[in-house]
Amino acid sequence: MTEQVIYDRGYRTYDGPRRGPSGARRAVYRDGLRRVLGLGRKGRYKVFPWSLIVVALVAAVVFVGLHWAVGNLAESIGQGLPAYGELFDFYSAISLLFIAFAGPALLIPDRTKGVLSIYFSRPLTVDSYLTAKVGAFATVIGGIYLVPQILLHLGLGLIAEEGFFAYLADNVDVLWRVPLTAAGFVTLHGALVFILGSLISRPGMAAAAFLGLITAAGGVASRVAEAEFAGARFISLLALDQHPRIIRDRMFNDTVTYPAEAAGFDVWASVAVIVVAALAAVVFVRARYRRLA
Amino acid sequence: MGREGSVVEVSGLTHDYGEVVALKDLDLTVPAGVTGLVGANGAGKTTLLRVLLGLIHPTEGRVAVLGHDPETEPLEVRSKIGYMPEVESLPVDQTAADFVAYTAQLAGIPPREAKRRSSETLFLVGLAEERFRYIGDFSTGMRQRVKLAQAIVHDPDLVLLDEPASGLDPEGRQQMLELIRRLRGFGIDVIVSSHVLTDIEQTCDWVVMLDGGTLLRSGPLDGFDSTGTVRVEVLENADMVAGLLRDRGLGVVAEGPRLVVGPGEALETAIIEATAVARSGLVRMTRGTASLEDLFLGEER
Repeated sequence: MTEQVIYDRGYRTYDGPRRGPSGARRAVYRDGLRRVLGLGRKGRYKVFPWSLIVVALVAAVVFVGLHWAVGNLAESIGQGLPAYGELFDFYSAISLLFIAFAGPALLIPDRTKGVLSIYFSRPLTVDSYLTAKVGAFATVIGGIYLVPQILLHLGLGLIAEEGFFAYLADNVDVLWRVPLTAAGFVTLHGALVFILGSLISRPGMAAAAFLGLITAAGGVASRVAEAEFAGARFISLLALDQHPRIIRDRMFNDTVTYPAEAAGFDVWASVAVIVVAALAAVVFVRARYRRLA
Repeated sequence: MGREGSVVEVSGLTHDYGEVVALKDLDLTVPAGVTGLVGANGAGKTTLLRVLLGLIHPTEGRVAVLGHDPETEPLEVRSKIGYMPEVESLPVDQTAADFVAYTAQLAGIPPREAKRRSSETLFLVGLAEERFRYIGDFSTGMRQRVKLAQAIVHDPDLVLLDEPASGLDPEGRQQMLELIRRLRGFGIDVIVSSHVLTDIEQTCDWVVMLDGGTLLRSGPLDGFDSTGTVRVEVLENADMVAGLLRDRGLGVVAEGPRLVVGPGEALETAIIEATAVARSGLVRMTRGTASLEDLFLGEER
C-alpha cells in the first residue's frame, strides 16, 4: 500500500445550528469557570485554586469527624462544637483568598491582553459578557461556601443519633439559612473585587488591593466611628467585611458585636450596604466596559 | 464562490472622536471579493472597520453590512463577520486549539462542533502540530495565524482583517497573503486593511483608498494600474527618438536608452515609426503600469 499524505484538507463551511447571543454568554460562563479553576492552563495556574478547594473539602470532613469523635463529650461539658455558623468564619478566610485570586483572573487578562476586541466582534454584548463573568464567579465562590456546608450537613446527618432523615428534617432551616448567608459574603466581596479588577491592570495588585481594603477598612472604620463628631457612627458602616458576618450572626448564633452593631445599626443596615455595593459595582463596571468595548 | 453584489454600503459616514474627525462624509460601496483598504496610519481604516462591526457608531450617515445596519442590528452583523484586529489580542495562557474553539462558541457554534472546527481551521492556517501549544510560546507569525483562524473558524460571510501581515518576516508575510487570497475560494468575502500597498496589490481585486478620513479613490485594482503610457528601450539614438515623439506632441521622459512615452493614442505605432526614422532598434516595449504606491501618492498630492 502506498503512503498517502494529505497536504490540505481545505475549508468546510458550517450549516449547523448557531446559538446566537445565548450561546456566546454560555461560552463566556464556561470559560470563566475554566479560567478560575486553571483548567486548560499550565499547571501553575491550577495550584492555588485547587489547593484552596482541597483545604475547604478536607476541613468539612474534619469538622464532621470532630462531631463524630468528640461530639458527645463536648455536649456533656456544655461546649458545642463549631457547626454551620462557625464554619462561615473558617470558609470566609479561604474564600477571601479565592476571591482575591478569582475576581482579577476573570476580568484582567481579557482586558490587558486585548482579547476584548475579538470577543466583542462576536454576537456578545458588554452586559452578556459581564453577566456571564458574574455567573462564573458566583458559581465557584458560592461552591466554596456551599459544598463544604453540604458535606457537613450530610455528615452530621449520617452520625446523628436520631438517624439521617430525622436529622435532615429537624434541620431543614439550614437549607435557606446557609445559602442566604453565603449570598451576603459572595455579593459584597464580589462587588468589591469586580470594581478593583476593572480598574487595576495587574492581577497581583488587584488581589492585594482587595485584601488590603477588606482588612484596613474594618480597623479604620471602627476607630473613626468611636470619635465624637456628628455622624461618626455612620463611619462604622465602612467596615465592609462585618456586614456579611452580621447577617451570618442573624441567621445562626450571635457571636460577636461588630462596629455597626455597636453604633446602633441593625442587620438591615448591613443588607443595605451590601445592596448598595452591588449596585455600585454594576453601574461602575458596566460603564467602564462600555467604554472599552 | 462567494456572493454577488455589495457587502458594504456607506453613505455620508462621518465619525468623530470629539474634536478629531476620523471619517468625513464617506460614500462607499464595497463589492463582494477581496477588498483592500489602504491609507497611511491615521487615515481612518481602523475606525471604519470598527464602525462596520458596530463597535462604534457613526456621528452622521448610514452604514449597511451584508444588508444589516451595524448600529441597530449589531449582533446580526457580528454573527456573520469575522474580525482580525491589528493589536495584540490573544490570551497567552491558553492553547491555540482552546482559544479558537472558544471564539467559535462565542459565535454560537455548539462546543463539540467548535472544537472540531478549531482543529480544522488551525490545520488550514498551518498550525496543525502546534495547536495544542500555549499561545504564549508562539512566534509573531504563529500568533498572526491564530488571529486569522479565530476570524474564520465560525464560517463568516465576511472577514475584516486589520493589518494581517503586520510584524511578519518576508516569508511569513507571503504565507499570510496566500491564505488571505484563498479565503474568497471558501465563500468568504474579505476587507483587508493595510498600509503596505504591495500587500494589497498581491491580494485584492478592489481597492479603497483613504486619507485623513476622506475617500481618495475606490475601484477595481485592474483599473488602477493602467497609466496610459508605454515604456520603451531603444538600441541607440534615444535622444533622436525622444525628439521625434515630442514633435508629434507626445510627452516623453528619457533616461538613457529608456523612454516613457505618453499618454496618448496609438503610442506603439508612433514609437515604431520614430525608431525607424532614427535608424535605431527596439529592445523592449511594454504598456506602462503604476504601482499602487505611485497612485496613492499621486492621489494624495
